Amino acid sequence: MAEFNWTPDELQEIVDNNRLVLFMKGTPEQPQCGFSNRASMVLQQIGEPFVSVNILSDHRAIPSVCAWSDFPTMPQIFVHGELIGGSDIALEMYESGELQQMISDGDSE
Amino acid sequence: MVTEQWMIEEVLKVVPDARVEASDLHGSGDHFHVRIISESYEGVRPLQRQRPILNHFKPFIAQNTVHALDLKCMTPAQAAESGDTAFDPHGEEVEFFGVHIRRPDKE
Repeated sequence: MAEFNWTPDELQEIVDNNRLVLFMKGTPEQPQCGFSNRASMVLQQIGEPFVSVNILSDHRAIPSVCAWSDFPTMPQIFVHGELIGGSDIALEMYESGELQQMISDGDSE
Repeated sequence: MVTEQWMIEEVLKVVPDARVEASDLHGSGDHFHVRIISESYEGVRPLQRQRPILNHFKPFIAQNTVHALDLKCMTPAQAAESGDTAFDPHGEEVEFFGVHIRRPDKE
């Protein structure tokens, strides 16, 4: 695999090419933070495949992702290339059905 | 390390009309759950509700003065319907997501 440098272009490519992306501390199997775990559980609950990016894997990751997305905390959830927010918003939108709606709306566009 | 009162005052600088409740989740002065209840959130999407507050706290998060900030931005109607929204990221509970937000049916 080519070297990954967390540039805005590289990050944008990830969210453009994947309908559900989770930037998190750790992995869904081994989350390193309760908020990341909660976000990952919400996405697993939806039952759709998602891409998770472990931002603890490289010390450049957190500042690069936060600067690019203009969002200061982790985790961050992207749906069809658009940042929806962190785990609190993901849960709220999941419980109201907005998240599922947003995923299927993007699929039909 | 900061206090719940400090959190509330800082949030009020951004959303002056809001009712703000802050809880220091561990008593360590850096993990906070904050409920912000304001009429101004009517018709505003969740991320757009949080953005001004997060922008305000950006320097404090960058310095790690505030390590965890769990925001719950609600309209008065949503607040009336919601139960306890606090979520402890380091809590022991394994219940479903650890939080319960009751919301009115949309339909």
